Amino acid sequence: MLSLQILIDGFAVGALYALGATGFTLIFGVSGVLNLSHGALMVAAAVAAWAAGSDLGMNSYAGAAFGIAVAVVLALVTYGFVVQPIQRSRAIRNEEREIFILTATLLWGIIIQELIAYFFTSNAKTVVPIIAGVVDIFGVRTPANEIFTAIVCWLAIALLWLLVNRTRAGKAVLAASMNARGVTLLGIELSWIYIAVWIIYGVLAGLAGVLLGMFLGVSSYSVGPLTGSAFSIVVLGGLGSVTGSLIAAYVVGYIETLTAYLISPAYRFIPSLLLLVAVMYVRPHGLLGRR
Amino acid sequence: MKAETMIRERAETAQGKAATEPCLIVKGLTKRFGGLVAVNNLDLTLKHGEILGLIGPNGSGKSTVMKLIIGLERPTSGSILLDGEEVAGLPSHKIARKGVGLIFQHSRPLQRQTVFENIKLALLPDSLLKLFADPEVDERTRAIAESVGLGTVLDRRPATLPFADLRKLELAKAIARNPGVVLVDEPFAGLTQNEMAAFADLIRKFRAEGRAVLLVDHNVKSVAALADRVIALYLGERVAEGTADEVMRNETVRRVYLGGEIQTHARPEASFRDTEPLLQVKDVSVFYAKAQALEGVSLHVHEREFVSVVGINGAGKTTLFNAIAGFVPFSGEIAWAGAPLCGRSAAAIARGGIVQCPETRELFGELTVRENLDLGGQRLTRAESDEQRSWLFDLFPILKDRQRQNAATLSGGEQQMLTIARALMTRPRLLILDEPSLGLAPVILEQISGALEHLRRTTSITVLLGEQNVTFALPQADRVYVLEHGRFIWEGSPARFAEEMGTGYL
Amino acid sequence: MLGRLVAAPLFWFAVAAVAVAALLPLWVSGYVLGLLTIAYYFGVFSMSWDLLFGFANEVNFGPTFLLGLGAYTAGIVDNRFGLPIWICIVLGTLAAIIAGLVLALPALRVSGPYFSLTTVVAVLILQNLIVVFADLTGGEIGLTVPDVISIDAATNYWLALGFMVVSGAILFTLSRSAVGLILQASGQDKLQAGALGFNVTKHKLVAFLISAFFSGLGGALLVFYMGTASVSALIDVSIGVQIIIAAVLGGRRTIIGAAIGSIFLIGLTEALRPTGELATLIVSIIALLVVLFFPNGFFGMIARRERA
Repeated sequence: MLSLQILIDGFAVGALYALGATGFTLIFGVSGVLNLSHGALMVAAAVAAWAAGSDLGMNSYAGAAFGIAVAVVLALVTYGFVVQPIQRSRAIRNEEREIFILTATLLWGIIIQELIAYFFTSNAKTVVPIIAGVVDIFGVRTPANEIFTAIVCWLAIALLWLLVNRTRAGKAVLAASMNARGVTLLGIELSWIYIAVWIIYGVLAGLAGVLLGMFLGVSSYSVGPLTGSAFSIVVLGGLGSVTGSLIAAYVVGYIETLTAYLISPAYRFIPSLLLLVAVMYVRPHGLLGRR
Repeated sequence: MKAETMIRERAETAQGKAATEPCLIVKGLTKRFGGLVAVNNLDLTLKHGEILGLIGPNGSGKSTVMKLIIGLERPTSGSILLDGEEVAGLPSHKIARKGVGLIFQHSRPLQRQTVFENIKLALLPDSLLKLFADPEVDERTRAIAESVGLGTVLDRRPATLPFADLRKLELAKAIARNPGVVLVDEPFAGLTQNEMAAFADLIRKFRAEGRAVLLVDHNVKSVAALADRVIALYLGERVAEGTADEVMRNETVRRVYLGGEIQTHARPEASFRDTEPLLQVKDVSVFYAKAQALEGVSLHVHEREFVSVVGINGAGKTTLFNAIAGFVPFSGEIAWAGAPLCGRSAAAIARGGIVQCPETRELFGELTVRENLDLGGQRLTRAESDEQRSWLFDLFPILKDRQRQNAATLSGGEQQMLTIARALMTRPRLLILDEPSLGLAPVILEQISGALEHLRRTTSITVLLGEQNVTFALPQADRVYVLEHGRFIWEGSPARFAEEMGTGYL
Repeated sequence: MLGRLVAAPLFWFAVAAVAVAALLPLWVSGYVLGLLTIAYYFGVFSMSWDLLFGFANEVNFGPTFLLGLGAYTAGIVDNRFGLPIWICIVLGTLAAIIAGLVLALPALRVSGPYFSLTTVVAVLILQNLIVVFADLTGGEIGLTVPDVISIDAATNYWLALGFMVVSGAILFTLSRSAVGLILQASGQDKLQAGALGFNVTKHKLVAFLISAFFSGLGGALLVFYMGTASVSALIDVSIGVQIIIAAVLGGRRTIIGAAIGSIFLIGLTEALRPTGELATLIVSIIALLVVLFFPNGFFGMIARRERA
C-alpha cells in the first residue's frame, strides 16, 4: 500500500510542480525572461485567497478567484515596471540585460515577500480547501483535496495546450516564441503578445499558488524554495521546453516523494538537486532544451 | 626599430622567395555544419608578397574559409599548412601566435578601453604571470598606430571615433605582431570612395612588406583592382581561379553572378494610372552605428508595378527594405498611399499592406507548412483564409504536398516558396522580396519566376524585388534601379539595363 | 607605472581614507567598529565578485557558495579537530578554491544564462546539504566555533581593514594590469581574444580561482570573527544579492566601487534599524531602483561626467 500512497502523493505533487513550471517556462520561451519573483507571485496569490476567506468572508471559490486576480495584477506590474524598463534602458549593454533582469526580478520577489510578512505576518497559512473530506482509493485514504488539486492542475495544463495549439491567438503566441520577427512581419504586434503571455502566466502562477495554499499551506518563507524548485525543474527539463518542464516536474515530484517516504522528509530536496548537478555537467541544456 | 628591421628583412626574403614556396597551403578543406556543406574540398595556396582575392555571392563560404584558416572554426576534413606546419583544427590563439592575423568584417574594439590600450592588447604575451608589459611594448604601440594613421587619437575611446578610424584600428590590431599571413574580411563595407582608396593603399603596403594577404569582399571591382590572383567560390566550391580579368570573364562566374540570358516583359511607366506613386521614398539615409548603409536614396513604385532593385550583397538592399518595413530608423521621407510612414510600428506597417519576405525568411521552423500559412491569414475570416490558402496551393503545388511537414525540414527552394506564400496570405498591397533566389538551383528559380509572373498577370499586387541575380530580377520587372554601395547609380527600363549595364555590371 | 600611480589624485584620496579608517577605533564605539568590520569583509566579497563579473564577464549569482564553503569548512574543522585557527583558515580557503574550480568547469563550456543558473543551483545545494547534515554543520540553527581570532573589537577591526585594503590593492592592480586587459578582452569578446592569440579558457579559469581565493579566505576569517556561521547569515540567496548590489551600487568594473558600495549598504541597513521589519524591504526597494535607473552605480555616474 505504501507504493500506491507514493504513487498518488507523487502524482499530486508533480502536478502542482508542473503547473508552476509551465508558467515559468512560458514566460521564458516567449518573453525571454527568467522571472525570479515567481515564488513570490504564487505565495501572494495564496495569501490573498486566505485573506479573502478570513478577512473579507468570501467563499472558497470567490477567494480562489481573488487570489488568481492578484497574481495577474502582480504579473503585469512585474512586466511593466520591473522587466520593461530594463529591456528598454539605454544605459545597459545588451549582453548585460539578462543579468539585470534576473537581479531586478529577484529583488522584486524579496520586496513582495517582505510586504507579505509585514502585513500578514510570516506564519504559515492554509487556504480553506474547496473540497473537503477523504477519499478511499484502493485502500489508501487520501484527502479529496489532493485529488482535486491534481485534477485542476491537469485541466489547466490541458486548457493551456488547447489555447496554444488550437486557437488563432494561441498559435500567434507559439509562433512568437519561435521567431519574434516572423510574427511582426505578418502584422501581429509583439507588445500585445507579451501582455497576453504575462496575463496567462499570472493565471497559471496564481492558480498554482492558491492550490498549494489549500494543499500544503504557504508562508512568506516559502517564496525562496518555490522559486528555486520551479527554476530547477525548468532547467532540468530544458529552458523553453514546456514538455520538458512537465516531464521534469514529475521526475522531481516522484523523486521527492520517494525520498520523503523511504528515507526522511528532511532529505527530500537532495536527490533532485544532485540530479540537477548531474544534468548541468552532462547536458547543460536540460532534457529537451532548445538553445 | 626592431619592428622596421623585421619588416625590411621579410620584404627582402619575400622577393627572394617570390616564385618559390607558398607560405600557406590549403588542401581538400571541407566544413560541414550538420547537413549544410559550407566549404567543399577547397584547395588554395598563398605566397609571401601576394594578394589573393576570394570572391563569391552570399553563402559561398568565403568567411568560413577565413575562419577555418585562423582556427575560429574547426575543419571537418582537409589540411592547412602554415610554413610547412599543419595547423588545421588548432585553436585560434595558437594559430594566431604562429603568425596569422585576421581583420574582422565588423569592427569589434573594446569599448571601454582607449585606442592605445586596444592596440597594446594585441602586443601582449599570452601569459598569466606577466603583470606589466615591457616598456618597449608602449613604444611599439605608438609606432603601429602612427603607421596606420591613428597617431592622433590614441587617447580616445572607440565610441568617439569615426567609422574609418575603427576599421584602421582593426587593421592595427591584426598586424601588431607582424603576422606573415594577413586575412582581410570585407574591408570596404561602409567606407566612402576616398576611404576605400586609402584602405586599399594600406593593403598594398602589406604586400610590399612581404606579407601574404588573403582578401575577401563582395565588391568585385575593388578586389579585382587589388588582387594578384582571384579565386571565385560558389556554394563552398571553387569555380574559377586566375587573374582578376580571367575570372571575371569566366562563363560560370558570370552565370553565378548575373544568371543566364536576360529576357524582359516590361510595361512602360506611363501605363500605371495612379496620380501619386503608391510608395514614395525620398532622400533616405540610414546609419548603422557609424557605418552609412544608405546615402540619400530615392525611389518610387506605382500601384501594380513590378520594380527590381539590382545590386550585389552589401549594396544596401536589405537596409532599404528594412527602412520601408519599419525595422530600422532612417532620415528622409517615405510615403505610403500618400501618407508618411514614419512613427508606425513594423507590425502596423505590415497591417497597412506592406509585407516583406526577408533574406533570412523568418519561418516558424517547428510549425507545419499549413500552420505557417494560417498564421499569415490570421486577420482574415476563416472562409477567406481557406480560399486564399487553396489559391496559394495552386500557385505552389509542392506546398500542398508538404502541408503537414515542419517548415524546418523543407528544402531551400520549398522554404522560399513558403515564405512568399505566407506573405501572400496576408493579401498585401506591396510585396517586398529580398534576394529570394539566394542559394537556389536554376530549376527552382524557374518555378518561382513563373509564380511571380502569374502574380503579375492575374492580381493587382505591387512588387518590389531586391536581387543580385540579374536573370532572375529582370524578366518580370517594369523598371530597374541599380544600388551600389548605398546609392542608386542607375534607373531605367530592363531593356536599357541589358544594353548598358549587362557587360559592365560585374 | 609606479610614477603614474603616485601622481593620480585617486591614490592619495584612497590613502587618506585608509588612514582615517585606521584611526577610527580611537573615537568610535565598539558597536560601530563591529559593523564596519563586517562591512569590510563584505567589501572583499563584493570586490571578488566584481573581478569575475566586470572582467571575465561571468555573472556569479551565488557568491555565497564560495564564501560559505570557506566559512563552514574552517568552522567544521575547528569544531571537529580543534586545529589551530590559521590551519582552519587555510583549509577553508583551499576548499573554496577547489569549489571555484568545480564551478568553473561547466561555466567555461556553456554560455548565456546557463552559467548563472549553475551558480544559483550551487547555492541551493549547499544550503540543503547544510540543513541535512545538521549534526556536522549545526543545520538551520548554525555552527558555533570554539575559537575566535580575538575578542577585542579594535583588533578585529584592523584585521578586517587590513584584509580589505590588501585584497583591494591586489585585485585593483590585477584589474589595471596587462593580465587585467587580457581578462577584459576575454570577457567582452571571446572570439577576438582568441584571434589575437590569447587562451581565453586559461585566463577565465584563473579569474575564477582568484575570486574563489578571496571569497574563501574572507569567509574563513569571518567565521572566526563572528564565532558562528549560519545559512541565514552567510549563504542565503538574499546575502548573495546584497553582495551583488553592493558592487552594482559602487559601479561595476571599478573594484574600489564594490568596497564603497558594501560600506554604504551596511550603513544604510543600520540606519534603517529603527524601522524594524521594514528594513529589508526598504533596502530592497532602493536596490531595485538603483538597478532600474542607475545601473552604472556611483563610480559609473562620475566616470560618465568625466568623459562628457
